[in-house]
Amino acid sequence: MELWRYARQRLFQIGIIFFVILTILFILFRIAPGDPVSRMIGPEMTTEDAAHLISQLGLDRPLWVQYVYYVKNFFSGNFGHSFHYGRPVIEVIGDRLPNTMLLFTTSVMISALMGVFLGKIAAWRKGEKTDTVMTLLALVTHTVFLPWMALILIWIFGYRLGWFPINGMISEEVWLNPTSGFFAKSVDVAHHMILPLLTLSLIYFGSYLLIMRSAMLETLKEDYILTARAKGLTEKVIRNKHASPNAALPVVTSVGLSLAFSINGGALTETVFSWPGIGRELVFSVSNNDYPLAQAAFLLISAVVLVSNLVVDILYAYLDPRIRY
Amino acid sequence: MPSRKKKILEERSRRWRRMERWAQGWAIYKKNFLGRIGLVLLSIFVLMALASFIPPLVDPMYKPMSGVDPEITASTGPSFRHWLGTDFMGRDLFSQLLAGARVAFTVGIASAFVSIVLGTLIGMTAGYMGGWTDTLLMRTADIIMVMPTLLVVLILAALFGQLNIWSIVLIIALFRWPGVSRVIRAQTLTLKERPFIDAARVAGASHLRILFRHIMPNVLPLSFLYMTFRVTAAINIEAALAFLGFGDPGTVSWGMMLQWVWKTGYMFKAPYWLLPPGICISLITLSFYLLGRAMDEVLDPRLRKEGERY
Amino acid sequence: MTSKLKKILVLGVVTAGLFPAMTVFGGSNPVHYLKAGLSEEPKTLNIWLASDRWSLSVLSQIYQGLITRHPETLELTPWLAEDLPVYDPETLSYTVTLRDAKWSDGSPLTAQDVAFTANLIKEFKIPRHFDRWSFVKAIEVLDPKTVRFVLETPMAIFLSRTLATPIVSKKEWEPVAQNARNAEKPLTALINHEIKTPVGNGPFSVKEWKEGAYLFMTRNPHFFGSGQKIGGRVMGPFIDGIIFKFFGTSDAAILSLKKGDIDMFWWSVQAGYIEDLQKDPKITLFKNERSAMYYMGFNLRKPPFDDAVLRRAVAILIDKGFIVTRILQGDGARMDSVVPAGNKFYYCPPDTVWGEGLSRQERVKAAWWLLKEAGYSWKTPPVNDAGAVVKGRHIRLPDGTPMEGFTILTPPADYDPLRAMSGTIIQEWLREFGMPASAKPMAFGSLIDQVKVRREFDAFILAYGKLSLDPDWIRSFFHSRHDKVRGLNMSGYHNPEFDRISDESATVMDENQRRERVCRMQKILMRDLPYIPLYTPKMIEAVRNDRFSGWVNTLEGIGNPWSFCVLKPEAP
Repeated sequence: MELWRYARQRLFQIGIIFFVILTILFILFRIAPGDPVSRMIGPEMTTEDAAHLISQLGLDRPLWVQYVYYVKNFFSGNFGHSFHYGRPVIEVIGDRLPNTMLLFTTSVMISALMGVFLGKIAAWRKGEKTDTVMTLLALVTHTVFLPWMALILIWIFGYRLGWFPINGMISEEVWLNPTSGFFAKSVDVAHHMILPLLTLSLIYFGSYLLIMRSAMLETLKEDYILTARAKGLTEKVIRNKHASPNAALPVVTSVGLSLAFSINGGALTETVFSWPGIGRELVFSVSNNDYPLAQAAFLLISAVVLVSNLVVDILYAYLDPRIRY
Repeated sequence: MPSRKKKILEERSRRWRRMERWAQGWAIYKKNFLGRIGLVLLSIFVLMALASFIPPLVDPMYKPMSGVDPEITASTGPSFRHWLGTDFMGRDLFSQLLAGARVAFTVGIASAFVSIVLGTLIGMTAGYMGGWTDTLLMRTADIIMVMPTLLVVLILAALFGQLNIWSIVLIIALFRWPGVSRVIRAQTLTLKERPFIDAARVAGASHLRILFRHIMPNVLPLSFLYMTFRVTAAINIEAALAFLGFGDPGTVSWGMMLQWVWKTGYMFKAPYWLLPPGICISLITLSFYLLGRAMDEVLDPRLRKEGERY
Repeated sequence: MTSKLKKILVLGVVTAGLFPAMTVFGGSNPVHYLKAGLSEEPKTLNIWLASDRWSLSVLSQIYQGLITRHPETLELTPWLAEDLPVYDPETLSYTVTLRDAKWSDGSPLTAQDVAFTANLIKEFKIPRHFDRWSFVKAIEVLDPKTVRFVLETPMAIFLSRTLATPIVSKKEWEPVAQNARNAEKPLTALINHEIKTPVGNGPFSVKEWKEGAYLFMTRNPHFFGSGQKIGGRVMGPFIDGIIFKFFGTSDAAILSLKKGDIDMFWWSVQAGYIEDLQKDPKITLFKNERSAMYYMGFNLRKPPFDDAVLRRAVAILIDKGFIVTRILQGDGARMDSVVPAGNKFYYCPPDTVWGEGLSRQERVKAAWWLLKEAGYSWKTPPVNDAGAVVKGRHIRLPDGTPMEGFTILTPPADYDPLRAMSGTIIQEWLREFGMPASAKPMAFGSLIDQVKVRREFDAFILAYGKLSLDPDWIRSFFHSRHDKVRGLNMSGYHNPEFDRISDESATVMDENQRRERVCRMQKILMRDLPYIPLYTPKMIEAVRNDRFSGWVNTLEGIGNPWSFCVLKPEAP
């Protein structure tokens, strides 16, 4: 019940934050140099379509009415027409969003699990060679420049070894083959996903490892661990059953806080590997002055970040018995 | 008269204490092996940035952007004339790399400085004033914190056209203060309860005086610590932006070099071109990061957990 | 919870490890699909809208014209037409007989379709096409296989240009045209009609377009050329289809080529890859001459580039030799007139080649002198009092206002790194001179929108490939009549003298007299510089030689209908 109330409260806060972002974007689109109408109406549009869209977006109305329309349109998914694709933005975004979610959630999960797992070991062997190596590895991968790392992975695994595809998310051999079923197609997508996933996981597991390590070290000083030791439990049980679940909590928080950061990395990764996701679409739309698409992509990415934040917060509250809101 | 003398003495002892604190800090810092590595790396980059002014003076062909070797019209590997080789137009990669260090420092330090100033001021104000000022400032911080900075810069680039290096610096700074301000606010809250602040207040010091005279000196080391982390963020964002093709087209940054090697098709062929800029960006990030971690240890260890979260 | 996730993770890693061992499905079928890599997705398959290279690459497989050029001799060759048209000087008319042909849906292709296409272009004044048809007075269907075109005046370009127009199906387009006529803006309605699987008459037709990934075309069983001998070649197609794959980045496309995932790289290979590809025995590189103009265009409708003096100064500052030797790595030639120098008959050297043979310093001085005389000023002039060249800063227009920052739009580096790089270098030259230039790479389709449709730009670097040997296109590019939305006169160049001479040139039938007019036109253009011609590059294409052979080299490279019609699978 408590948790439920907390969730509701957070949801409310996030709603407000989102509204602020929505509003800032609205203002930015109006104060930027140039004509706001031509920014939202594609050049390839027929006059009728354009007139229709102008009235739908309220671009012929006073500013505050435009704002009302804008908010309403956002919630009904009407972002106008993409200049480049010549079709409704919502369709383009709808195609790309699942791809981003797939890559994003998998990579966050893998890097967090890797971080927790290795961080635990590092803390357990504090001062030993394993610890030093792991900490150093974490520091290095954490600070490596992401696009460069992606290029190096392409060079090694794509060019030298030729193991993995480096482009897109499907290969036409599989999709044009009438005999390939769902499984074959999933395998194909997974195959394409390996390098982008590797890039993201390598970059992000480091910080989780470091956090897990220090949290674990703190936890090991706690009374209940001493008690457990006194009870004569094996080291393994103490480590895995008593210490690590508590130590993993800060990792959960930091996952939440680094989401915005991971989204940045996601956009870069998608671009380098031509992964048809929403981040790449944003980059593409920016270089093409495709304003409606850029606007929608940005808003949706913000929404994804906010909702994931909420999920992480609730997860945290749920996992930590000490915290009750 | 006696009160003035007392003041001078007080001032002197405070100064002494501060110096002592730095010395102690340095002693702790020195013990940190990784911190020393960070400092060494950083010094190398500083040297690179300073050295970047030399090559164009030696010969105009070493101008990083527009200078070309009159005899070389293709990408060549390292040689005596071009220590890292040339790009496909015959521009010297080594002088580009040096110029990149200068850009990285300019971007990193300028934008980190602005964001730290903003973050410190806002954090102090919020913590000290409390009430609705606090709520307002911290909610703003919340909002800005969830925005992915790189994408924000991208969308601004879409709206306002090609951004020059200083607007990029400013935008990064404007979106990178919230983390700092939160920590500074927490610190200010604890300071506020200390007796010396009360004493100052009773003595009739104004809010401004208390903020800048009594609180600021105590939060500055923390701000300085955060500056190192902000520097890495700024350098990375600028590099990523340049890599994607939205950087300032008039500057030769490491991100720009990577973009060139990627887009002109030399990345499989010219490791001498692909590797150095990437290694530099990564190492300068690492060095600032190590510096920050070591400084973290020097400062109050209790803050440490807080620190890693933002 | 953690352990469960861990299991999933382990499972994932294990399956991931298996992938390299997996083989591609369906390898046993004896079907031969050519896989071609494009760097961007086609924007549209509506032939009347398409103007980007990717759409046209795909559409060139679908719609054919009556006449084409022979790949080696470059002579006019009947294509959809059975023979070259018969000219009747009395009535100024051409009579064309069609081959036995069918549309890809199996319905017969008749003279009605030809007349419909021509009338459609004339009625809607379809950009890019209308100019070739405006002088055709009447189109008469004599019988289902014969059509006669009556001209208003004799026209030099009728055979080579007009009759190359792609023919569309009346059955498919008549309802579309009908709807468009009722719309408020008929032309816009027509070109915005969405079409995914067009009915065509070419060697291939669209089977499936999976957006963002590939476009699959299969052999058109009704292709008119199949089994025929045209231009000395027996036509196929002998392959079962083409799969176009879209790559966001060229590194991926080159890797796919090397690995055999694609058979053809259908855009010019970047310099960086050439050496590597040359070493690969399974890959063949083709270098072909081009009839092309790569140029920097300006927006003459607004400051600062409405001033011809400024454009001349820019021309002086641009070192074309530098661009050719360094950026093109020598695979191309500099251009000093709008007509490529290879077009020996119509090329005329201009009176002045701006900045010819000057060093960088001399260029700066010359441009500075020119602008100073015209009233331009600087905060820091690029030439100081001592006469030495320094970095100029903050140029001001003759009226004293500072020049506003402007952008030079270029295609993205993945599509054409040479143009993108030229843009950067030109930007640098202009900046050293104190002009606030920024080069901005932009996706091709969007660049065209920006320049042709929205017309919000300052300068751009674009190119025309496949320029016909007959230089009538000069008239199209610079006549004030074509300064309109989607028009070919992208600069907004207006010069009554040029308009007059160019209109004259179109109707003069005597070659030498025509040449004289064309020369005058070139000279005017090189004086006014709405475009600064930069260079003509070579076309460098790469294909795999282990699966298909028979590529046909011609002007503009191997990506031509001849290649696709005669290409044969290699015996295994």
